[in-house]
Amino acid sequence: MSLEEPGPDADAAAVARAADEMEALVGEHVRSRDDHLNAPGYVVRPDAVQDVLGTLREEANLDHLSCVTAQEYEDRYESIYHLKSYDDPTHEASVVVPTPKDDPRSESAAPVFRTADWHEREAYDLVGVEYEDHPDLRRILLPETWQGHPLSLDYDQERPQIVPLREHANPLEDDQEGDEGETMYLNIGPHHPATHGVLHLKTTLDGEQVIDVDPDIGYLHRCEEQLCQKSTYRYQIMPYPDRWDYISAGLLNEWAYARAIEDMADIEVPEYAQVIRTMGAELCRIAAHMLAVGTFALDVYGDFTAIFMYAVRDREKVQNILEDLTGQRLMFNYFRLGGVVWDLPDPREEFFESIRDFLDHLPGSLEEYHDLISANEILQVRTVDTGVLPPEVAKSYGATGPVARGSGVDYDLRRDDPYGYYDELDWDVVTEDGMDNYSRLLVRLREVEESAKIIEQCVDLLEDWPTDDRTIQSNVPRTIRPDDDTEVYRAVEAAKGELGIYMRSDGTEQPARFKIRSPCFSNLQTLPEMSNGEYIPDLVASLGSLDIVLGEVDR
Amino acid sequence: MTGGDVVLQTTNATNATGAGVSRPPSAPLADSIAGMLGLDGVVGAVVGGLIGAFLIANVMLTTTAIAGPWAKRKITASFTDRIAVNRVGPFGLLIIVADSVRLLSKELIVPDGVDRPAWDLAPIVITFSALIGFAVIPFGSGLQLADPETGVVFVFAAASIASVGVVMAGYASNNKYSLLGGLRAIASNIAYEIPLIVTAASVVIFAGTLQMSEIVAVQRQPLVTVAGVTIPQWFAIVNPFAFALFTLANLAEIGRNPFDLPEAPTEIVAGFQTEYSSVYFVLLYLGEFIHIFLGGAIAATLFLGGPAGPVLPGFVWFYVKMWAFFLFTQWARSAVPRLRIDQFLDAGWKGMLVLSFANLALTAILVGVIV
Amino acid sequence: MIGILKGMATTMKHALDGKTFTVEYPDVAPEVSPRFRGVHKFSQERCIWCRQCENVCPNDTIQIVMDDKRNGEQYNLHIGQCIYCRLCEEVCPVDAILLTQNFEFTADTKDEFVYNKEQLKNVPWYKGIDPLNSRNPDRDAWIGEGEGEIDYE
Repeated sequence: MSLEEPGPDADAAAVARAADEMEALVGEHVRSRDDHLNAPGYVVRPDAVQDVLGTLREEANLDHLSCVTAQEYEDRYESIYHLKSYDDPTHEASVVVPTPKDDPRSESAAPVFRTADWHEREAYDLVGVEYEDHPDLRRILLPETWQGHPLSLDYDQERPQIVPLREHANPLEDDQEGDEGETMYLNIGPHHPATHGVLHLKTTLDGEQVIDVDPDIGYLHRCEEQLCQKSTYRYQIMPYPDRWDYISAGLLNEWAYARAIEDMADIEVPEYAQVIRTMGAELCRIAAHMLAVGTFALDVYGDFTAIFMYAVRDREKVQNILEDLTGQRLMFNYFRLGGVVWDLPDPREEFFESIRDFLDHLPGSLEEYHDLISANEILQVRTVDTGVLPPEVAKSYGATGPVARGSGVDYDLRRDDPYGYYDELDWDVVTEDGMDNYSRLLVRLREVEESAKIIEQCVDLLEDWPTDDRTIQSNVPRTIRPDDDTEVYRAVEAAKGELGIYMRSDGTEQPARFKIRSPCFSNLQTLPEMSNGEYIPDLVASLGSLDIVLGEVDR
Repeated sequence: MTGGDVVLQTTNATNATGAGVSRPPSAPLADSIAGMLGLDGVVGAVVGGLIGAFLIANVMLTTTAIAGPWAKRKITASFTDRIAVNRVGPFGLLIIVADSVRLLSKELIVPDGVDRPAWDLAPIVITFSALIGFAVIPFGSGLQLADPETGVVFVFAAASIASVGVVMAGYASNNKYSLLGGLRAIASNIAYEIPLIVTAASVVIFAGTLQMSEIVAVQRQPLVTVAGVTIPQWFAIVNPFAFALFTLANLAEIGRNPFDLPEAPTEIVAGFQTEYSSVYFVLLYLGEFIHIFLGGAIAATLFLGGPAGPVLPGFVWFYVKMWAFFLFTQWARSAVPRLRIDQFLDAGWKGMLVLSFANLALTAILVGVIV
Repeated sequence: MIGILKGMATTMKHALDGKTFTVEYPDVAPEVSPRFRGVHKFSQERCIWCRQCENVCPNDTIQIVMDDKRNGEQYNLHIGQCIYCRLCEEVCPVDAILLTQNFEFTADTKDEFVYNKEQLKNVPWYKGIDPLNSRNPDRDAWIGEGEGEIDYE
């Protein structure tokens, strides 16, 4: 079940005790408590951020900075650090750092968690909190020449938002750097065959070797967070998650929102709907991994490789099933609060037959992929020991999903922080210890097998489900207004990793703050770490193995 | 017809050297055309050579035109389970016309700061270097423009001019991706041309001649007769190891998977051809395909008995062998990953070079012992 | 080497079996699932002008104009702006708006994608499939009334 109700009193007491213990660790800095639904929240002074996070990381084993949320209240700015533990993601804490309106300066967490680098840049960019001691506090999603911070309360949309370059620093000037040195500056993207969308890598080359790479993102920024803040909980937000990671991972994304709001508004989900959700989500994961493998092959093999088309062919089968189930091929909008919108299509036998048919052919297809990709010696030469991401570095950057599991980090929210029907089913978390491009590829291929196992069990369950117990939605009010100032941060295991949603309600039917923790955003941050010192082809391969979707990076 | 002119000059040059020696006619096609027209002497050589060059160049250009917009798509599509071009004309064949009109009517974009003469010349050099190579290829059925004594040397010399064109294109484009592509092209050509030619030299040792028609003639002799079926002495059968080496080095020479590094579309956009459009792009594209066919033609002549084959006329067999090589490059493209540039060069210098010299030495010893 | 050969054998197998998975699109109309969500069809006869679809639409695609006696005058829908989430169909109490399976729509300008009620009425069924049939089993599923108020205005 998706609800993490601390039902029995004993559990609640244990949770409270753990929270108090953590508070004791950082007691001297804690000014008050601001508990969230998912975790205890400690309000600390802006100049104690590094101390508190460092202590919690060392002493309380909170080694995963999942997300940094910044928001503006009427009287203050606030940065929230959502901490988790890689060993046990249900062990959570939030560090809340309020800063005054007139001087929104706060200490940066980047020296403690490297992932904070980009998250704080985003907070600075969109909300306007300034982080002292930050290595490189620039705008990240919006152009350098943007005026104002769009998520701040006093943002004036009427004012010109971009000024011409001549009134600002000229970004082209950077091109000249290294003119006298031995290096060459190369723009990879925003339009490049291997960037999987509009990503811009500012690369410095020594010969063909990459000595520095600086990803420049934000070309696909569509204000998804703001869109959700302007939409109602009950219906209007649900179509948007499909558009974050649009590579057919729609149901997984929808689940992230569904989980957060169901927790916040205390909505039960019928078991039958949970099984359907689990099955649909795993079908999406197969589709997403198929495309990831196909495009990775495209990057390493060249444009005319057959693997991409074979992967698309298999993905097409999944999409046909999903189309029968949800009515769309990519933008599903299938989940509703408290369930799903449609029961399985009639005739049910035919639908089960099509899924079983797909599952029966899947091992054969995977065999083919292994013949074509993972068994190929040239591919092994190309990918083994390139793009190395040691587990410690991966953790520090908040990498999740197949990227973390390819580095041997045994972290999967489906098992560690169970939701849906996953804890009732028999499946394994796939990890590889290679830490390189090859192991990330293998993780994806093996995860497809695991997903197939889950789907098969779900189909078995659904086939035998009693006819009179097929409730697909619980009774949910037409309008949902969670209590004022309820805050929740909930994550699910999406195709690319941990997809988290932070929501704060203000008593209306629209969220006051809606923050998306995108797995691709954190994973992409590891790219310089993987590719510095490697050749351009390995940079491209590493990028492919990260499997980013720019729609989710930029939101 | 710049190409025709160039071919003609070489024809004349070989004619001049070949004259006076009692050998088979050194320009068979030109001579037979001249004979048909009843011309002789210098006029006959010039007219015959011109017409012959025109004929051969057109056959090859037509072949590339079929291969580029149509056959390549069909072949790739069948490897990837798709249908591909089938709308315009029978089997979609008229796509060739449609595509040429489309490509030629596009705007020729000249980027800022290109090195003008070099940038303009590069496509021409790349295309016609490959066409010149066909001057000495014996297509069979008497179709051979010129047959100099140094045919093998000539064909490799002509084919490797293309590297100069690639470097010109890469360097003159004023684009960093093109530059990288050009540099990769130099590195790969130097690394793989040596094994290529050294492997070809083993054939030359075996045949005892550099003349293309003689090499073909040597391969016509029977190697062994099994149950009434005579297996000819094709060098691919005599020395399969050399054939494998040659095919690999040939792939590198023409820049196809797994060695398509100068282009490497997913790494350096399109390498040396990034900045070319319209007519220049067509020329580059043609050049690449003619190079593939020239690679196929050399392999067929040196290793696969040239135009030899049962029933059908020699010309058809030769054509089939060239297409088979083309098919092989597309097949490799569908399933073989690209090597990284340093691995590629390592394999070239430390692997191919050593193996090709070993092959040469071994052949030399064997030939010395047997003959 | 064996891996490379295995890969090449696999692609050759695919080339030789002659099977294709693509369709010749405009000549062969693809099979579309009965639940597929395409261009809307609107029935003025059924509509009670409750404006729920207009309210629920996440990106203001539907515009309803009424006169001072609350009679419906215009029903405009920008099918180029629509995200095909089907929420309008879902909230409609009288099935006045349905999403057909039509996925092909072209126009010279974006303005032509603004359909009025006549144009919406004339949207054809795709291959004659009435999507209502496929949706019947679950038609009542969405009506979660809960304790919240129902606002038909």
